[in-house]
Amino acid sequence: MQQDKPLAGLRVVEHASGVAAAWAGRLFAAMGAEVIMAEPPALCPLRGEAPLFDDGGSALFAYVAADKRSVICDTGTPEGRGALSALLDTADIFIDDTPLAARAARGLDETAIAARHPRLVHLSVLPFGATGPKAGWTGQEINLIHSGGEGYLLPNGLSADMFPDRPPLRIAGHFAEMQGGATAALAALAALWSGEGQYVDASVQDANVAVGCFALQRYGDGSVEHRLTRSFRYGGVIECRDGHVELLMLEERQWQALVRLMDHPRWAMDEALDDPATRSARGDEINRNIRAWARHHAVDDLVSRAQELGVPMARYNTPEQILSGAHEMARGLFGAVTVPGTGEVLIQTAPFRFGDAPLDLCRAAPGPGADQALLPHIPAARRVTA
Amino acid sequence: MKPLAGIRIADFTVHAAGPFCTHMLSQLGAECIKIESAQRPDIFRKPHAVYGRAGPATFDQVASNKLSVRLNLKHPEGIALAKRLVAASDVAAESFRAGVMARLGLGYEALRAVKRDIVMVSVSSSGQSGPDSHFAGYAPLFGAWGGLGHLTGYEDGPPVEMRHVMDHSVGMNAALATVAALHKRRRTGEGCHVDVAAREVASSLAGDALTAASAGIEVKRMGNADPQRAPHGLYATRADDRWLSIAVSDDAQWSALARLMGRAALAQDARFATAAARVAARDEVDRIVSDWAVLVEAEQAAEALQRAGIAAHVSWRASDIARDPHMAARGAVVPVRETDGRERMAVGFPARFSRSDAPGIARGTPGLGEHEDHVYGEILGLGRAERARLVEERVIY
Repeated sequence: MQQDKPLAGLRVVEHASGVAAAWAGRLFAAMGAEVIMAEPPALCPLRGEAPLFDDGGSALFAYVAADKRSVICDTGTPEGRGALSALLDTADIFIDDTPLAARAARGLDETAIAARHPRLVHLSVLPFGATGPKAGWTGQEINLIHSGGEGYLLPNGLSADMFPDRPPLRIAGHFAEMQGGATAALAALAALWSGEGQYVDASVQDANVAVGCFALQRYGDGSVEHRLTRSFRYGGVIECRDGHVELLMLEERQWQALVRLMDHPRWAMDEALDDPATRSARGDEINRNIRAWARHHAVDDLVSRAQELGVPMARYNTPEQILSGAHEMARGLFGAVTVPGTGEVLIQTAPFRFGDAPLDLCRAAPGPGADQALLPHIPAARRVTA
Repeated sequence: MKPLAGIRIADFTVHAAGPFCTHMLSQLGAECIKIESAQRPDIFRKPHAVYGRAGPATFDQVASNKLSVRLNLKHPEGIALAKRLVAASDVAAESFRAGVMARLGLGYEALRAVKRDIVMVSVSSSGQSGPDSHFAGYAPLFGAWGGLGHLTGYEDGPPVEMRHVMDHSVGMNAALATVAALHKRRRTGEGCHVDVAAREVASSLAGDALTAASAGIEVKRMGNADPQRAPHGLYATRADDRWLSIAVSDDAQWSALARLMGRAALAQDARFATAAARVAARDEVDRIVSDWAVLVEAEQAAEALQRAGIAAHVSWRASDIARDPHMAARGAVVPVRETDGRERMAVGFPARFSRSDAPGIARGTPGLGEHEDHVYGEILGLGRAERARLVEERVIY
């Protein structure tokens, strides 16, 4: 039986070239909306974005376009604009990441869309938003993670200890752009809830400043954080015999549990370490001891015993460990789809669920124009066949 | 009206991820009632020495705009009162370990019994089911479980721990799922139990790598490098610890960069003629860009690069964000006035609406129990004598 997903009945048209807007569309699709990608004749550039399968197809696209539909629509022509407009007549949300300067000529500016589609939620997703002095700026993932403040603070912990002179880092993949996508999706659903057709101006930079709000609060408290000084005083990334674990103790009982986990070593029985402030001050010494101890233990044994005792510890999972993880399998986190030229691949269904069962994954990313019949009023002569 | 005006949230969340979820919803106009007790306040109200500083974590940011009440969930009457709060709400949010709400008598079925269409949102480290559902965790553990930690880092270095951005990303996703669940309630009349596992939010952010790995593709840590772009990285500029991020995606941008660097001939150099060639010669490309960047003023260079159509931005500190006219113009950074009159900078809602009233922060951090007159008196209709008894008996405590 088909799931009754939360956004069933909603139609979303996505005109996206970047990950942020495409991720907003993917989240809508995962929650049951019908999401129709309106691709240009040159196709969505994410179809060629790394990581790539052996045949050159994009794993990124397979992931972010799963469960979507595809039509090809050239907004550079009057016919294409007319077809898109007719499609938008049937839509609840329109996602667009066309750069501001290119919008008016394609009939995609705020005023034109509002005039023709007053009940539509028009979601603009741009690297730096659609208003403000930097609205015209462009940005890739690496620029955006650094525009939001978190990049400057990376790495910290063990990596910063080992390489203090290296440049700051980004988070792997498309973390910053996906923050922009999730935030934009939230804003669009809130706009839809209001019952007002309206324009929503989402910015990837704003989204990253929001999730990095801690740094701004600290600045307000009188200090600027730095990657070399914000490491946890003890714990953090710990190397074991066969991999790394993360260890973080905020509560007194968690420290006491770690002492039990380590079987009460003499150095940890120093009564002075009962005081959290002393532990903080002597963090380097504590970590030297923890690291020396952990090196003799296997990751899985350690994590399992740690969690039993109440010590917050996790394995640094490789992709393969996640794909085959007992917990992930039990929760049905991944769905299988067949990608032409590659075969069966796994796709995480969603970052959340609405009950015990995971959200179903219904279909693989569509081929170019696979759902062209959904595009109304387009003369056959103008159709583009991929 | 703000977009979510009229929605009320009974907010049992603590730490960072859950409170960030309700903080977003609160900025969008929902009335959010934060439920704590003097015995067990949100642990982010207090400092934690392991961070090496005296102040609390993100409490001020994520607690602002919320109403605060005390409620002792260890007392049977406290549970009854919690249910009355839920019955008067649209959403119940919590972030305890899986199973704790049920043990308290506040599981989804119990809440559904008092409010048939309640949307319950549970934020936890590993979800409400599965063999690891009892695991305790914080942001760096979510990133470790979810693969982001393993994939992030220098190519020759160890994994990197994710910090508060991970928590808040979980909260952002939880807020999105909550509003989606409200849409479903509007359509069907049915509530539901939203299950947000922080490690699954983390893995969703590395989902492209997981999909690639499922096809046998090896995905490795690669620092700031990109498999398809060069130059792509962080470059030291003439000021100490002032880094410029640059990403060149195509040949036109490479030509523009070559001209900007005063080395137009590089655009014709066969060694760098295509993206694939530049990636293959990444070290040499980086050396060329580094030699130029180390002489430039970072912000001026970023502006020049942007004028030339090249993606660039300085690696910003919080002080840059606080002072930026673009951030201020967008309301992305806003001043907030605390009850004591002190003003502080805070992060506003990260999107603008053309017709709804602007989301944002109307009040600063609530004192513990500051809004009990409104919540217990006006919303639940408890009389003064009854409230006094509940305080006396440490139910409101």
